[in-house]
Amino acid sequence: MEVKIENTGTQTLVVLKGRLDTTTADKFMQDITPLMQGDNPDIEMDCAGLEYTSSQGLRMFLMLQKSVTSRKGNLVLKDMKPNVKEVFDITGFSNIIKIV
Amino acid sequence: MKKLFNPIKDKTAEIIEYLMSSPDMPKDEDLRFKLRLSIEETVENVVQYAYKDGIGWMEVGTALEKNGLTLTITLKDAGKPFNPLEKSDPDINLPLEEREIGGLGIYLCKQLMDEVLYRYEDGCNILTMKKEISK
Repeated sequence: MEVKIENTGTQTLVVLKGRLDTTTADKFMQDITPLMQGDNPDIEMDCAGLEYTSSQGLRMFLMLQKSVTSRKGNLVLKDMKPNVKEVFDITGFSNIIKIV
Repeated sequence: MKKLFNPIKDKTAEIIEYLMSSPDMPKDEDLRFKLRLSIEETVENVVQYAYKDGIGWMEVGTALEKNGLTLTITLKDAGKPFNPLEKSDPDINLPLEEREIGGLGIYLCKQLMDEVLYRYEDGCNILTMKKEISK
């Protein structure tokens, strides 16, 4: 699981690549720690390379969304693969995290 | 085919790969995604909670039924009796503030598989998952 974080002025672009599962979730959490800081975060995540997520991965997205919301920021997940999107749909996560 | 893992501490990934490499598994990528997810959620449950510190065994297996149309995955352990199907489903319509972290794994498995059955027999937890794999 690869996480690339790039700051472009006011926005943070994140590119995800690989599988988010039991074995990669802890590392992912460490990788996204910088996104848990700062006021008014504006985060766009490119999920085109995200091959898979289990409930472990969903937990990370939920924590991130709660953190971003508490800091009055925005989080958008982009270009999710249909399989991964289905996991967000089944669990109702599509209703609480913005997916475009 | 089936295999015994002992002890199961930190073996989640190995057990998933063993089951996913079974010749009984379908080739279809979409089905494999759903099967992998269901396997991960249920195996991880046993590895984390069945035994103290993961010191114990787990037998996993796959089989085909109904002329190869239905795939059955079975997980068996001798840990503390636990029926994951008794847990109530999470409320997926709650707003963000009220959503809790956890409880989603078994729910996903129940949604993605056609049938998930649990029984406690001879001191063992036996979880069986079935999925039609004809295309």
